Amino acid sequence: MAKSEELYNAILEGDAKRAHAATAEALAAGVVPMDLIAGSMVPAMDEVGRLFEAEEYFVPELLLAGRAMKSALELLRPLLAAAGEKMATRVVIGTVKGDLHDIGKNIVGSMLEGSGFEVIDLGTDVSPEKFVAAVEERNPQVICMSALLTVTMPAMKTTIDALTNAGVRTRVKVLIGGAPVTSQYAKEIGADGYSESASGAVGLVRGLIANA
Amino acid sequence: MTGRDRVLAVLNGQASDRLACMPITMMFAADVLGVTYGKYARDHRVMADAQLKTAEVFGLDYVSTISDPAREAADLGANIKWYDDQPPAIMEDEALFADKKLLAGFKAPDPLSGGRMEDRILGVELLRRRTGKDLLVEGWVEGPCAESADLRGINHLMTDFSDDPAFVNDIFEFTVELATRFAAAQIKAGADIIGVGDAAASLVGPRIYNEFVWPWEKKLVDSIHAIGGRVRLHICGNARRIVEPISRLGCEMVDIDFPVPMEQARAQAGPRQTLAGNMDPVRGLRNGSPETILKSLEELQQQAGAQWIVATGCEVVRDTPHDNLHAMVAFAQTHTTLNPAGSTAGPGGIEENS
Repeated sequence: MAKSEELYNAILEGDAKRAHAATAEALAAGVVPMDLIAGSMVPAMDEVGRLFEAEEYFVPELLLAGRAMKSALELLRPLLAAAGEKMATRVVIGTVKGDLHDIGKNIVGSMLEGSGFEVIDLGTDVSPEKFVAAVEERNPQVICMSALLTVTMPAMKTTIDALTNAGVRTRVKVLIGGAPVTSQYAKEIGADGYSESASGAVGLVRGLIANA
Repeated sequence: MTGRDRVLAVLNGQASDRLACMPITMMFAADVLGVTYGKYARDHRVMADAQLKTAEVFGLDYVSTISDPAREAADLGANIKWYDDQPPAIMEDEALFADKKLLAGFKAPDPLSGGRMEDRILGVELLRRRTGKDLLVEGWVEGPCAESADLRGINHLMTDFSDDPAFVNDIFEFTVELATRFAAAQIKAGADIIGVGDAAASLVGPRIYNEFVWPWEKKLVDSIHAIGGRVRLHICGNARRIVEPISRLGCEMVDIDFPVPMEQARAQAGPRQTLAGNMDPVRGLRNGSPETILKSLEELQQQAGAQWIVATGCEVVRDTPHDNLHAMVAFAQTHTTLNPAGSTAGPGGIEENS
């Protein structure tokens, strides 16, 4: 598999311009887009996740790496679409209704995207109806919900109930996360999983999809 | 000893009759009074009633005017989203300084200009009047990293450290100047201590913290000391890697949130720094039982040592069983410091002035 060391390093160092240039250079040299994703971007974001877990990287470094990764992906997306290739798994992500906190959700979204998943970010203050509509219209395999406040956590259950009532709950795996959220709460509300970290969320999505 | 005397004794490194207890209550306090949080956050009289009732029912040693991070931002003109029964939030998509150029020449309002900052100042004044010297009265300001995140948008600020360091210093200077004036007004109104909330600082690592955040937090702490105040620094989240520089700020009291092991916090902060915390408010206090809470606090005390104030790592969550908070306070009421530090002045060197 073709690998661009320059792209890998640019993402790791959070340099969006370099990542963009390295991607353009690799494409010009005939490297296939999916090979760049699998050979450089996914390993780079895996390493970013590892450094974050090891407390060598922090939120600024994570956001910069995510930005660099996205600058590379911008070049690849039209090519992937033209070739009829799709990202393996589609994930819908959002912060639940009543909650405007988005940094944790953004980090998880970036990590997922950099790990080869197609991520549809619904933003913050996302109503249950909007999650349901996203499932019906975009057909994701996974929904990730975030909440930072104990007062907004119940919206996770409301959303799961709404998915059930709309008859689409069995079509998606539902993962939850956020500072006050626990694995116990995930079980209580009928979610499929909980992670306390962004890289943990990536592993969880991979595991759920592999076992689906 | 009164609650105020007790806390001040701990902060001054003097002997106290028992452990002091200062968990943060906001939505929990509103529920104790039976009012919506929207009313609590908008009206200092409601907040004062709720704080006093909570302190009385549970036997807390202090009352506080902390409510939400949007007081300064609201007065500056940021777009705030209000909720009926939860804290107001700042609309990041419409951040005041989304365009960095707007910072230059921006004039911050007087804290006493009839807005949300004045409401907190009036809250301090009312709490002081109603508690006399029985309870410690806490004012609150946002720290430079948190307030800048509120005004710039946290996602933007986190990348500004790399993209535009000069702007970061400019916005930190702006926020520290505002926080100093806000703190001064609260001290004048009777605040015994000023809480400085700088949650966003836990998102950065030691390199960025030391280069950007620490110098401005230090300036704010020194400024509050210069006008006769004490400082309680509250950084929510995992600040494990920055506890050591935090302990060099000279704060009288440093809150430790639950993701930071108390043992590590104490090792980094040294024996003289007063630490508060750090029971997990959800997994420990809300989901626990009086028995598990007692056991956790015994372990925490062993790790925290003498200069310690009993508290949760962050806000007591609103559906915490009352018996559980009673159990936390009962622990404080029935335990004394492990190794009384004697009568030497505490780390901030500020003597009791009652």
